[in-house]
Amino acid sequence: MADPKKPRPAFAPWDTRELPGSFTVEETAVRVGNYKWIEMKLFEVLGGWIATVPELDVKLRLGTHCYHHAWHAELFHKRLPELREMNPERLTLPANDELVAFVDAMTAPEGQGETIEKLVGVYRVLIPHKIAAYTFHLNNTSTITDAPTIRTLKLVLQDEFDDWRDGEMMIQSLIETPEEVDRAARHQASLEKLMLAAGGIAGPGSIGNPYALQEATA
Amino acid sequence: MRKLFPPDLLARDGRFTRVNNADRFNDPRGARGVAGGRPGKKGNNRLTPDLPEAPDAARTLMHGIFVGEIQALEGAGRTCWDFETGKGSDEAPFELKLDMARQCWDEARHCEISVKLSDWMGTELGEFGESAFLYEAACNPDPVLRLTGVNRALEGLAIDVFTTMKDFGDIAGDPVLEFCEDWMLADEVTHVKMGSDWLRRLTADDPERRANALEFQRVVDKLFSFGGLRGETDENPIKLARRFRELAGFTDVEIDDISNVSEEATREAAATGARG
Repeated sequence: MADPKKPRPAFAPWDTRELPGSFTVEETAVRVGNYKWIEMKLFEVLGGWIATVPELDVKLRLGTHCYHHAWHAELFHKRLPELREMNPERLTLPANDELVAFVDAMTAPEGQGETIEKLVGVYRVLIPHKIAAYTFHLNNTSTITDAPTIRTLKLVLQDEFDDWRDGEMMIQSLIETPEEVDRAARHQASLEKLMLAAGGIAGPGSIGNPYALQEATA
Repeated sequence: MRKLFPPDLLARDGRFTRVNNADRFNDPRGARGVAGGRPGKKGNNRLTPDLPEAPDAARTLMHGIFVGEIQALEGAGRTCWDFETGKGSDEAPFELKLDMARQCWDEARHCEISVKLSDWMGTELGEFGESAFLYEAACNPDPVLRLTGVNRALEGLAIDVFTTMKDFGDIAGDPVLEFCEDWMLADEVTHVKMGSDWLRRLTADDPERRANALEFQRVVDKLFSFGGLRGETDENPIKLARRFRELAGFTDVEIDDISNVSEEATREAAATGARG
């Protein structure tokens, strides 16, 4: 072993983390509050739908996924005071009214014959948008100063990917006719339009703005 | 989607048959069969493998556990949805909803376990009728009463049932049954403790609400003593599990009260049987 008194750098050669990040403490808190709000809406509706879904395997998966998203809400809730928001409820908010309209539409189906609509809303629209927003945040925040949010996002994203796959497989197994393909696509399109109006789960800028540089120099 | 989803609309596939409580608990293949179909029958009615009725009684009980787990899953899920988040009397606190979501996951696993065990015991899903008694208790519009009725009364009953099945697995030399029941028992103790903790927290400054909740629990407990099916003597096929109830936050006085309610139900059933 090398001489233990020999100086070593604080950052090993393979540790390339950097200080700069795209979000201030305040901006991070607002986004985390938006994340908590959408995770709450998701776990609540998954819980509510369990009683309304006749397919036994789907019923049980919704129960499991309900907890995943509740746990995400709890993780974001606990992060808020660490971001100087001592009253987490104050920032537990939707990004805008358009996102509320999206959630209202996504949670509307109730009937026993609407399992496809229920699953499409969650697994083909909402969860992909969550993955996109969380990934943007993960890749743009300071890898040193905001390490706790990064850890939370990585844990959450692991669940999101697993649940997305579960949900997509359930949808594929439920769709048996061309008409049902159309039904799923129509519902997806209507919800995507609402999400487009919202700008994503954290509002406009949920996944950044690829034209920002051009707009700034124009 | 509406708030407060009625029991008659619970979604099931074509294998399931809905029956009323009386038909469900008087099914001669069930634990009541161990007592010769006679409520309050004197003598040892414990569910043991040497009884000729034991295989059917155990299969019936396991199927009852399975449909009970589905309804517990549905009830916990509805508590996540039915109430706005907040600290008002008609709201559910955020942390309570987190507990209910956790319970959803636990109940989903219990369903999976029960399906596997039922298959192992030679039971088809839907072979026995399903009554919606558990979910009905989960429809109370007051979250405290709902938690008390479901988590303390019904999940408390689950502690008793799982203990009975665990002992049955032990005596029958079925280590898989004993193993699974023990794991589910651990979850149920957690759920009952959740109910006990939330009852105390949410009614700390409201003795009237606490009294109402405990009265609702007493009503549910009596209903689910099934005319003497659950109790502390050998005449009761399902044994009141004192030790696990203590772990779940029940005081000795509260357990004595449930025991008294069960005895009362046994006496009433015996009197009804004698008249019949």
